[in-house]
Amino acid sequence: MAGAPRYDATTCWRDLERFNEGVSIDTFREWAAPLLASRDPLVRMYLKERLTELIGNDAGRASQVLEWTRDAGPKEFKVFAMALKDSEAVHLPEVSRKMLELGMDVALEPERRAGVLSSLDTQKQLSPDALGKLADFAKDPASGEAGWAAARTIARVMKNDHERSANAAPYLDKLLSIGTQSLDEHVRYMALSTPMETAPVLDASATDGFAKVLTTEGSPDGRGAAAHNLSLSADRAKVLETFARAFEPEQDVCVRWSLFRFSARAAGKDALPVMANMALVDPRFQPTYQDFERIYASGVLDFERVWLALADQDPYGCLHRD
Amino acid sequence: MTRTFLLARALCLLTLSSLAHATETPPPPPALQPETCSVEGLMDSIRRGLQSKSPAYRRYLRELLKESAVTLPEEQLRAAFERETEPVMVEHLAAALVAKTERGESPATLQLVGKRASTDADPAVRAASTRALRRTSAEEHTGDLYSRLVRDASPEVRMEAATNLIEDNQFVYAGLHGPVSDMAVAAAVASSDSKVTARILDNISTAAISKESAEQLHTLLGGDDAQVRAAAAKALGGVPAPEMSRARQTLVALYRGESDVGVRTAILQSLARLGFASAVPELTALRNVDPRLAPEVDAWVRALSTGLQEWSLILREKQRLQQAR
Repeated sequence: MAGAPRYDATTCWRDLERFNEGVSIDTFREWAAPLLASRDPLVRMYLKERLTELIGNDAGRASQVLEWTRDAGPKEFKVFAMALKDSEAVHLPEVSRKMLELGMDVALEPERRAGVLSSLDTQKQLSPDALGKLADFAKDPASGEAGWAAARTIARVMKNDHERSANAAPYLDKLLSIGTQSLDEHVRYMALSTPMETAPVLDASATDGFAKVLTTEGSPDGRGAAAHNLSLSADRAKVLETFARAFEPEQDVCVRWSLFRFSARAAGKDALPVMANMALVDPRFQPTYQDFERIYASGVLDFERVWLALADQDPYGCLHRD
Repeated sequence: MTRTFLLARALCLLTLSSLAHATETPPPPPALQPETCSVEGLMDSIRRGLQSKSPAYRRYLRELLKESAVTLPEEQLRAAFERETEPVMVEHLAAALVAKTERGESPATLQLVGKRASTDADPAVRAASTRALRRTSAEEHTGDLYSRLVRDASPEVRMEAATNLIEDNQFVYAGLHGPVSDMAVAAAVASSDSKVTARILDNISTAAISKESAEQLHTLLGGDDAQVRAAAAKALGGVPAPEMSRARQTLVALYRGESDVGVRTAILQSLARLGFASAVPELTALRNVDPRLAPEVDAWVRALSTGLQEWSLILREKQRLQQAR
């Protein structure tokens, strides 16, 4: 069997059936200890899901598990935090409020705070108060790694809220403030890049915000992310104009590639004249321009298909740039 | 009642309540011990676990068997599968055999499941085996299995096969693999069950289908069943670039002659998809053909006027605009 991948044998646990039937929130931590100490990922996933079941929609039980996260070891902590995140009770206001408080408790080490804040990722929405607290926390240099998690939580809840109610504006506003004000490049990038997954149509205020990022952000990745978001602005003419103006002064080829291709995502084949100009400014874009022209001429309109039809999706080596 | 009697009763109650309290103290922790998994032991746990009220535990047992499959003795696994007649257990074992192939071993174990899906005497076992092939590479290893499954005597089996074709298309191949899309179209055409035909065509990507498959969709537009005509019209909205202009012409012409509102709704969607902003005049010209669908036309015109350049986003905005009204 040369070349066949090798797999580790799985673990079967004697008495797990009795664990499953007899365990309660009061015995969980003690009973699960030997399982948590093992290196068995399947049983850990089970424990997380079983704990979610035990928490149910009960604020008291959720608070009990939240208390455990204060002193849990790393493996336990992950199971507890993820079980909370997926529980029904996480949507009860008193539970989410306590989680936010604990996530901001400076007495806790940053990794633990980041994990607790990430348990808020499943919230259906964030109140203006919670949103404000998370954003301030994300911008605060003292928050360290937890600031990064706070920005990500804002983005993830934005996705949930936007899916249900098309609401993105208050979240985008906060993400833009983090993306322009945080001193930490990683936190800024988290705030600037995550709206891509939600793909909201940008209003005038968000369009202005991301357009400014194109000229003020120091990191090329952050500028590229801003271009990505701008490609879904409600004001296509303004975006094309902004991209056309930003192209020449932009020195980074990967950001230029973003401005170039996201022109097409913003305006489809109407963007071709702008893209042709970009290819005059930077002749490296000539072959790619011709490719776009060929694809639009074939009748393809959907940008997702245009993208897949490109001869090379990474013509400037930007995909794995680090 | 005398005082002693009352006292005795009180004492008795006390004893009883303390007894009751004693039974509430938690039982000792289970003696959890890691062991090597065996086919027999796993089957035993699963059989008992099926009674468990905890979905987490049932999911765990299913995953454990699947993950164990690659390291369990194949002979024992096959023998257990062939012996088993309980549909739920068959599905677990079938998933384990399929997992062996999916982890790079020979397609033989997967094919064994395919054989049972098409030949077992019990329709529930055929359906269970079919489900075990879902979201795998089964379509590449089982020849014309799907064209047979969609003609199965049991409606449950036919529908499970349709679900496999839809989910494989989307989740395994991202809608971009021509041969499996063609296989799904062929199965839709082969099925004797119009619900199955419609369901497949309603839910697959036709972005990579062949000219022949596109031709089949045009043929289905002329069928008697409105559900099938609607699904074929919808499927034509996503055809590859060389097929787009013909699809557009056919659908515009069909709209006027069609009387079914469902088919007309599907045609409007496909016209929007095939033309994006350039479909606006076309759609507007059709607005008065069927007054019932004037609001639908308006919704498409508004969604296309956003200027969005991705179909999934146009669809999303159209649904939003309609909900908001």
